Amino acid sequence: MRRAFLAITGLAASTTALVVLKGSPEATQVAQNLPSGQPVNPAGPGADPSAEPAADPAAAASTPSAAPGAPSSPTPTKTTTARPSGTKTTTKAPSAPRTTTKAPQSTTRRVTGAGFDAKDGSETYGYVQVQIVVSGNRIVDAVALSLPSGGESDIHSGDVRSSYDGSGGEVVRKQNANLNTVSGATATSNAYKQSLRAAIEQAF
Amino acid sequence: MPAALIRPGLCRVEQIMGTTITLDLADDLPPATLRELADDVFAWMREVDGRFSTYKPDSEVCRFDRGEVLLSEASADLRFVLEACADLWGATDGFFDAYATGRLDPSGFVKGWAAQVASDRLLAAGAGNHCVNSGGDVRVRGLSPSGEPWRIGIRHPWDAMATCLVLTGTDLAVATSGVYERGRHVLDPRRGVPAGGLRSVTVVGTDLGVADAYATAALAMGVTGIGWLDRLDDHTHAVVTDDARQYHSVSLPLTD
Repeated sequence: MRRAFLAITGLAASTTALVVLKGSPEATQVAQNLPSGQPVNPAGPGADPSAEPAADPAAAASTPSAAPGAPSSPTPTKTTTARPSGTKTTTKAPSAPRTTTKAPQSTTRRVTGAGFDAKDGSETYGYVQVQIVVSGNRIVDAVALSLPSGGESDIHSGDVRSSYDGSGGEVVRKQNANLNTVSGATATSNAYKQSLRAAIEQAF
Repeated sequence: MPAALIRPGLCRVEQIMGTTITLDLADDLPPATLRELADDVFAWMREVDGRFSTYKPDSEVCRFDRGEVLLSEASADLRFVLEACADLWGATDGFFDAYATGRLDPSGFVKGWAAQVASDRLLAAGAGNHCVNSGGDVRVRGLSPSGEPWRIGIRHPWDAMATCLVLTGTDLAVATSGVYERGRHVLDPRRGVPAGGLRSVTVVGTDLGVADAYATAALAMGVTGIGWLDRLDDHTHAVVTDDARQYHSVSLPLTD
C-alpha cells in the first residue's frame, strides 16, 4: 500500500517535473542544440562547465523534494530531463549564434534625402524632406521629416479637436488601409518623391 | 512579398503637367505590349501638356488666349475642351469658370479629362484593368493587380500622409479638389475672391473631366456646394468643411 502510494506520488512528481520542464521550450531546445552547438561555438563549452555544476545542485535539490523515496526508475529520466533545466543558465551560450542572425539587422541605417520645396508652378507653399530606414539592402521605412504646414493647418488641427462635440456631419478622421492610389494628393507628392529619390540615391 | 514580385502588369510614374502622373496597368499582357501601352499614355499626357499648359507661352491655349489662333484654326482637342468648359460653366451655375482668373485656364477640366481619355484608350486597346492617377484625379477600371476592385484613398485635408476615406470600385472617376496644397487657389467667379467654407471636395462619377470640374465648382461655391452636389444625378461626393466636418453621399462606394 505504502509502496503503491510512493510509486504514485513519485510518478506524479516526475510527471509534474516533466511538465514544468517542458513548459520552458527554450530550455529543451537548448539541450538539443547543445551537442551540435558545442563544436561550432567555441564560447559555448567555456560557459557550459561553469553552468552545469551550478545547475546540478538545483536539479538535485528538486529531485529529493519532488520524489522522496521514489523508485529508482523515474530518477534516471529525471536526471536526463533535469539536464536541460541545468543548461537553462547556458542559454547565454546559444545566444551567441543568435546575435549573428541579428547582425544584419544591426546594419540598419537612416538616410535623409535633400529637402525640396513643394511647388505649384512658381508658387511655393511648403518644404518636404524624407528620411529612409535601410536594413541591409532593403528599405524598411520612409519617414517624412518635414511636410508643408503652417499657421492655417495648426489652427485647423485645433479645430479638429474642438469640433468633436459639434453637430452636423461627422468629424473627419484618419483611416489607414491598403490602397492602390490616393485622390487629392498632388504637389506635395512631387516634392516627397524627389526627396525620397535623393535619399535612395544617397543610400545605395 | 512574392505576390508583389510576380504581379501582372506594369506601373510607371512620370512628372508631366507640373504634377505626378501614375499609371498602373494590371492586365497580364506581354511586357512589350504593356510598355507600348504605357508609352502611348505618357506620350498623350505630354501632348496635352504641350497644348494646354498655361505656363508655356507657346502652348495652343496661350496662343488662343492671346488671339493668335482662331477657334476655327484650333485643334480638335482644344475645341472639344472649350466646348466642354462652356457646358460645365452652365451646368455649375457659373462656378466652374475657365476664365475665373481673368485669362483662359481650362486646367480644372484638362487634368481629369486627359486621364479619362488615356483610360478610354487603354480600354479600347484591350487593357481594361488599370488605374490612371493624374495629379490626384483618379480613373480606375476593372481590377487591381491583386485581382480585387481598386482601392482609392482620399487624402486627409490636414495630413498629407493620411487618408480620411477609402473608396472601392471597378469603374470609377474620383476627383478631389482641395485648398490644402495650393492655398485658396480656387476663386469664387462671382466675387473674384478665394472661396471659403470647404476644405476639400471629392466627386465620384464616370467621367474624370466632369468630376474634376464639379469638385472645383463645389469648392468655389463654399458650403452651399454641399447642397448642389447632393442634387447631382449620377455623381456621389464627399466634402470636408473648414471646421473639419465631413459630409458624403449615402451611396458613396466606401469601404474599410
